[in-house]
Formats: sequence, structure tokens, C-alpha cells
Amino acid sequence: MTPTIVVLVALAVVLAAALYRQWRSSASLRAQLEAAALDLQQLQQTCARLAPAGVVQRLIADGVSAGAEASAERKVVTALFADLVGYTAMSERLEPAVLARILNGYFQRMSDAIHEHRGHISTFFGDGILAYFGALQPNPWQCSDAVRAALAMQAAIREYSTELAKEGLPPLSLGIGIHRGPGVAGLVGSRERMEYAFVGRTVNLAARVQSLTRVHQVDILVTEAMREELDSRFVLTAMPAEIVKGIAEPVVTYAVQENAS
Amino acid sequence: MRNALEHVAWESCLLERGRDRALESYARRRWGFPAPSVAYFTSVPWVVRAIVDLHPEYGLLMRLDQTVADLAVLVVSQENSCRFCYAAVRALLWSQGMARSRIERVEQDLTRADLPPRTVAAMAFARSQSRTGPADARAARAALRDAGFGDDEMREIAFVVANTDFSNRVHTFPAIPSRPVERLPEQLHTRLLRPLLGRLFTYRRYRGQRAALPRELSYPYARLVKTFGDSPIAPALGRTLEEMWSSPVLTRRCKLLMFAVVARGLACDACAVDVREALEAEGVKDAMLAQVLTHLDAPELDPVERLLVPFARDTIWYEPAAAQRRTRALREQLSGPQLVEAIGVASLANGLCRMGAMLTDHA
Repeated sequence: MTPTIVVLVALAVVLAAALYRQWRSSASLRAQLEAAALDLQQLQQTCARLAPAGVVQRLIADGVSAGAEASAERKVVTALFADLVGYTAMSERLEPAVLARILNGYFQRMSDAIHEHRGHISTFFGDGILAYFGALQPNPWQCSDAVRAALAMQAAIREYSTELAKEGLPPLSLGIGIHRGPGVAGLVGSRERMEYAFVGRTVNLAARVQSLTRVHQVDILVTEAMREELDSRFVLTAMPAEIVKGIAEPVVTYAVQENAS
Repeated sequence: MRNALEHVAWESCLLERGRDRALESYARRRWGFPAPSVAYFTSVPWVVRAIVDLHPEYGLLMRLDQTVADLAVLVVSQENSCRFCYAAVRALLWSQGMARSRIERVEQDLTRADLPPRTVAAMAFARSQSRTGPADARAARAALRDAGFGDDEMREIAFVVANTDFSNRVHTFPAIPSRPVERLPEQLHTRLLRPLLGRLFTYRRYRGQRAALPRELSYPYARLVKTFGDSPIAPALGRTLEEMWSSPVLTRRCKLLMFAVVARGLACDACAVDVREALEAEGVKDAMLAQVLTHLDAPELDPVERLLVPFARDTIWYEPAAAQRRTRALREQLSGPQLVEAIGVASLANGLCRMGAMLTDHA
């Protein structure tokens, strides 16, 4: 074998090794890119559950800072406020681990009931829940969806209380206030933390109505604006008008039950 | 091939396979190969014929590039999370020689740099119409025009998107098994036979020829059919609508109420007007219609209508598994053909209403 052939063979081997390394490296990079792109795709789909599809698209195209103001729009939405009755006293009595387990079970059941009726949860705060109906996609049936969700939440809390009672734990009960009205929906927050929110008097009134459930000793209260949109499948009982903080006129509310017939 | 819809929950199938040799051979003649989902819908022949006849690859498109149409089908199926249609169109593109990596980049919307601007605009339109529906129709139409699409091409794109919306729902609500189609590109024998399969799938594909409507149309949504002028889409769509309205499985009033609910849910005024006129002719008073549209119920509804009016609403925006669970609950209360026709009617209403918003200035 001549030295030239040896050199050529050696050169070919080195070249082949270099090519193989290059191929492996590019295959690995391609796999990483594919995985990242798939994650991105799943993230986009997840985002679509937190904000309207149009807003998510605008964010993807323009970025958060540019897309935030452009995403704001006026719309009519139904806001549902829910709060556990007697939570503070219970939280002082129970071990932190037990309390966390009870709360997780509670939030999961409430989330299921709200999603099942086409609502989306905006925030959990302490033991409270704020959910919207008709915020992500146009929904002409948002009022009855919200009331059905509230009834399903009450049924779920009763069932959960029975489970807790078997473990010797205290039962839970829930007050829910619902109001429908206009407001501004869009991305709000700081540079570090943003969320899709609905702001305006509607949300405040829903929260005040929720607090009236304790005054009137009922589980679910809706406002006059809601009553107009509900049909005879729901039994509404008028409650005495009450003055609430931040609202000039006394607020008329109705207790809701499902029509058994 | 990585599948972006693998994580989408999909229930077991709600329908049983039926045998109808005439319908199966009709599908085979039109497409050149057996249509895998036809056997589930044979109890209502118009649904089978709609799946087969409205497929945009077989003589319906005259101006729109076929690859653009295929890519639009891919992105709409992905947006609607229809595992069956998504797997089918992926397998089709793969068999025709499109590299897996390229298909994945189209799905991940990473193709802006290496696709023609018109194709990118068509895909953006398909995505936006699936995500936001008629609310964005005017802006979507303007974007297509800016990209250089003419009126005829825009109508064809709107049709492709609408038909995919129809097909996605028809296959999603009864949870037609998607695994056999999803596995196709992974199997050794299909990989070996890929060039042959590509030829088989494209063998019967052909471009559309001008075709006049056979006669004056007088059924609801005829106005929409007429917007297609002398395109072959018009007679195909017209035939589907005619068969659907005259099918005896569900009453005409029930079907119209389902269409009305979808039009209301999507806020498509042009479609709502069409349906209101037809319901008036059926003797439905404005007060009753208002009550149905406000509360999805009315004392005058019969038991089947009382089930299908809320079902129509559930087909507008949905997550597959939840929609399949609701459809399963419906199965207990309806006959097999009633369930198939209800799925077909609701799916068609969704497709047509989205297309109506695009083709008519509904806002």
C-alpha cells in the first residue's frame, strides 16, 4: 500500500467521522427544536383557555407589551363570585396539611362545575373564586350557564361535605353571587405579571351580591339584570333590597333554585 | 411522525359500523380508495354523500392551489382538535412526498420564511376563522384581499375551511377511531409503499369545471349556495342541502331550529335571517323562536327538539372529550339514525354559518 493511499484512506476516515458527528449533532438539535416547538404549540393551546383566541393570536404576533393595550375591549360578561362560609374559623382549627387537602378538593370540584358549564376561572383568592361566562368566546346563553354552574357547585359542595363528614371533618357551605353587565376585558398587570381580566362595576357588584348571601341566609343570589335573562326552569325568590358598599341605589337580588318540575 | 394532537383526549367510538355496499362503492368510485369513516354513517345516506361529495380534492376547486387547500385543512383540523381528520390529512401530505419535518413546521406555524406569502395568508385565515369564527370575518377577508386573492379564490378558501369545520365535527362528536389513520405513516409496509400510496391518493384528484345549478333553488341557505355562481361547489353544496332538508329522520323544523341556534351562537345575522324566514314558513312564531334562542327551550318543542336544540349549541365551541361525553348522553335517548342525522345537521350548520359570515357582509 503506497503512502498516498494510506493518507487518502486516513483522510476519508477523518472526514467520515467529522460528517457523522455533524449529522448526530444536527439530528440532536432538530429533535430539541421539534420538542420546543411542540411545547410552544401546547402552550398556545393552553393560553387559549386563559384568554380569548384573538388576544392570544395578537400576543403571539406582537408580544406582551405591544399586544396588551390592543387586546382591551368592551363586552358584556357574567361574573360569578363564590366564597366558603365559615372558612376563617375552620382554617384556625385545622392542621395546615388537612386544610390544604380540603381546599384542593374544593377548588377541583368547583373548577369542574364551572368548566362543565362553559365558564372560565379568572382567580382563586384565599377560599374565594371569581369566574366569568362569555368572556373568552361570544356566549348568548351566559346567564343560564352561570346559574347552572352555581347550582352544580352547590350540589358538588354538598357531596364533598358528606365525604368530609365520614372523616370527621367539618362540612363546607358556599355563598355565590352572580351579576351580568358591561365592562372592559383585556390584559392587565405589571411588566412582570399579567393576566386576562374583566374590570368594571359588574365584577364589584357580583362580589357585593355574594356578600349578601350571608345577610339573606341563602346559597345563590342573582341581580335584576340576571333575572331578566332566566326562564321558568329556575325558581327565583325576591329578597329585600339592600344598600351595598360602592353602589348608590339599594340592590335588589333574587335567591335561585332549580325548578324541580 | 410526532403528532401535536396525541395529548387530546378522545373517547371510544359512539357509533357502530354499518354495511351499505352501494354507499361504500359510491365513496370508492369518487375517491379511488375506500373511505375509512363512511361505514359509521350509512344509516343516514346524505351524511355519507356530504362527506364524499364536499371533499375539496375531487372536482370542486377551480382556482385555489390544491396544496394551499390541503394545508388549510391541516391547520383547521389542528385548531378544531379533530384527531381523525388531522391524522388523515397528515397521512395524505406525507404520502404525497411532503417531508415530516415540513408538515410539523406548517403545524407549528414556523413556515413564514419558506412558504409563499399567499399560502401563509391562507393558513392565517384558516386559523383565525377556526379560532374566532364570524366575529373576525371582515378583517380576515381584508387580509386575504391584501395578500392578492381574488373573489373566486376567496370563496374557495372559505369553502375549504367551512367543509373542514363540517368534517371535523362529524368525526369528532361520535369519536370516530383515529388510531388506525394516525398509525399509517409509522407502519413499515405503508412506508415502503409510500410512493404507490401517494399515487393512489392523488389518482382520482381532479380540478373542477364550471357547472351550472340544475334549477332554481328554494330551500333555506340557497342564498349561500348561489354565491358560488358557476363554481362546481354550488351544485355539490346544493345537493347536500337539498338531501339534508328532505331527509325524514328528523323533522325539518327541528333541523331549522338547530341551524337557528348555531347562527345565534356565532352571531351570524345573514344566516339568522335565512333560518327565520324558513321557520316562519313552518309555522314557528317569532315569540317561540325568541324563546328558543334565548333559553334553548320552549314549551312548544317536542321531546327530540328539546334534546337537539341544546346539543346544537354544544357544537359551536367545544373540547373533544367533553363534546363526546355529551353526545354519548344523547345516544341513550335517540335512535341511531337520529343521532347520526343530528351530528350531520349540527356540523353542517357550523360550517355553513362560518362560511356565510365570510361570503356575505353579515355584520
